[in-house]
Amino acid sequence: MGVRHDQKQATREKVLEAARDLFNETGYEETTIRAIAERAGVSVGSVFTTFASKAEVLSHVMDRRLGELYAEFDRVVPFLRGSTADRLGSIFAIHYEFETRRVKLFLAHIAASYSPSQDPGLTPYGRNLRLTEMLRETLLDGIERGDVRPDLDPQTAIDVLKAAYAWNYRMAACGQASATELSAMMDRQIQFIAQGWRL
Amino acid sequence: MSFVSLNIESPTETPVKLTRRALAKQRTRERVLSAARRLFTERGYEGATIRDIAQAAGMSTGAVFASFADKNELFDEILTADYEVIYAQMKQAGANAATIEEGVIGMFAVAYGFHVEQLPLLQASIAVSWTRSEPAERRNRGHLKHIFALLNGVLTRGVDRGELKSDADVKLLAEIIWDVYVANYRRAIFDAWSVEALLSRLSDQLKVILAGARA
Repeated sequence: MGVRHDQKQATREKVLEAARDLFNETGYEETTIRAIAERAGVSVGSVFTTFASKAEVLSHVMDRRLGELYAEFDRVVPFLRGSTADRLGSIFAIHYEFETRRVKLFLAHIAASYSPSQDPGLTPYGRNLRLTEMLRETLLDGIERGDVRPDLDPQTAIDVLKAAYAWNYRMAACGQASATELSAMMDRQIQFIAQGWRL
Repeated sequence: MSFVSLNIESPTETPVKLTRRALAKQRTRERVLSAARRLFTERGYEGATIRDIAQAAGMSTGAVFASFADKNELFDEILTADYEVIYAQMKQAGANAATIEEGVIGMFAVAYGFHVEQLPLLQASIAVSWTRSEPAERRNRGHLKHIFALLNGVLTRGVDRGELKSDADVKLLAEIIWDVYVANYRRAIFDAWSVEALLSRLSDQLKVILAGARA
């Protein structure tokens, strides 16, 4: 690839890193493209030639973070042990641990994805396909091991688990709950739902 | 528990015959609220400024601030008015139900029916709910407490009727049901689901949630 491509790539990296930090420090709405350019040490114009909008910057910031998270998962998942409920608990605990490292950024993403004036460039909250797949595999594996009723509809169970997972962040939004507290709450919810799918 | 509207001046403070001044003040509030509702719906919470709202209402920014302390209070008042409209219907749906399913689905049919009709405003309120100030969060939890009381009532009556185990964790159950109810809105917002589709999904989810607590 040419020098121009390298330069563009370098700008992109700098912008995404600056945006991630600014969104987390001061919030998404409060952060302007100008502030991002300034922090990244690039011109405002070059931000706009790389990204169509602030929403698109946020989407890329979140995608990259998820990439890091799932690299972590690829190492951990083969080692998950215990009941299906325990395994699910570990999966969610790792998510909480990861997202609360930059909780304001994560909350900004949720808020921005629900805003009626949102740019179409933004990925809606709850569209995390890797998480959905991971939950599905864990449930199907549970069915195979005889830990989960075979007539459980995985998609409905996934819906319920993801709703509880997502809305527990509410406790982080208003009460600064730690990852440990969020995971403890999630464990109670998983155990409760699991009563219904045990054989 | 009564659900006192902040939109209506309490009768003890208001003389039977409103003075011309009080009437004018009331009219100003109504004009501001209706302009604000429209702008929040179009632009979201962050996108609508007090200046825009004042302009849309045809008055000065100062006149808006004479009625409302800040944008937050204005937005909260709109949401409170909406809560009040649906609360009575939700209460009735929950109280008249013969089973837990009927009660929960009945309650949330009211809520989905109301909010899906004005999705942008609901979106704005969900967006704000993730980043709002602590006083605003406390006010909101005041509203939620009433809805949770209804939900707990539906579930407790289910326990009394022997639908659920006597030691079922009703509080946890109510929280999970609430999470699912709220999370489903994203299907309406991002995937254009109808009220019927939302309710049918909620009904399936409810079966999974209740399965372990059945008597």
